Amino acid sequence: MKNIVLICAAGMSTSLLVEKMQRCALEDAYECKINAYSMGESSRVIPDADIVLLGPQVRYNAPKLKLQFPDKKIESIDMVLYGTMNGRAVLDHAKKVMG
Amino acid sequence: MEGMELICFQIISAVGTARSLYIEAIHEAKVGNINGAREMIKEGGQVFIQGHHAHVQLIQNEASGNKTEIGLLLIHAEDQLMSAEAFGILAEEFVDLYERILKK
Repeated sequence: MKNIVLICAAGMSTSLLVEKMQRCALEDAYECKINAYSMGESSRVIPDADIVLLGPQVRYNAPKLKLQFPDKKIESIDMVLYGTMNGRAVLDHAKKVMG
Repeated sequence: MEGMELICFQIISAVGTARSLYIEAIHEAKVGNINGAREMIKEGGQVFIQGHHAHVQLIQNEASGNKTEIGLLLIHAEDQLMSAEAFGILAEEFVDLYERILKK
């Protein structure tokens, strides 16, 4: 089962996006784990992730995380998709990147 | 999606992007790319305004007598807004400092 990890400042705003993504995954009958975490939890949760999606407010951490986890797929969530809580588009993007 | 939730997300998304750009600008200046850093601050300012406009909508709405529903998400959005604003001011100072150091 694919493990999708979302990271933002407090894991709060992103958890609403997670809810929407989970609903879309259910519609697609796509089995996956989707969870939101804060930046402070990143080192603990990234090792088990198939993809890491960063919220706009923590996007600046991408280079650091890529250095720390060179084998992981680490992506920033598009500002407009995040701002409109477009769970469908974010999930589809994650699926495409994971292949 | 509920109106209030959407406005909060618009704020968080825009000012969050601005905040990232400001911090990325400091990183750029640190490696010597002063012009790139200034561009990022400028871009950050433009994105910040989008979030600011969404916030102003709420203030105007309240001023016209419609009480705003206060939730944790709105508080978080305002936190992000304040943080981004402060980072914008500081990023300019940092870039100026790095520029001065590089010129020496």
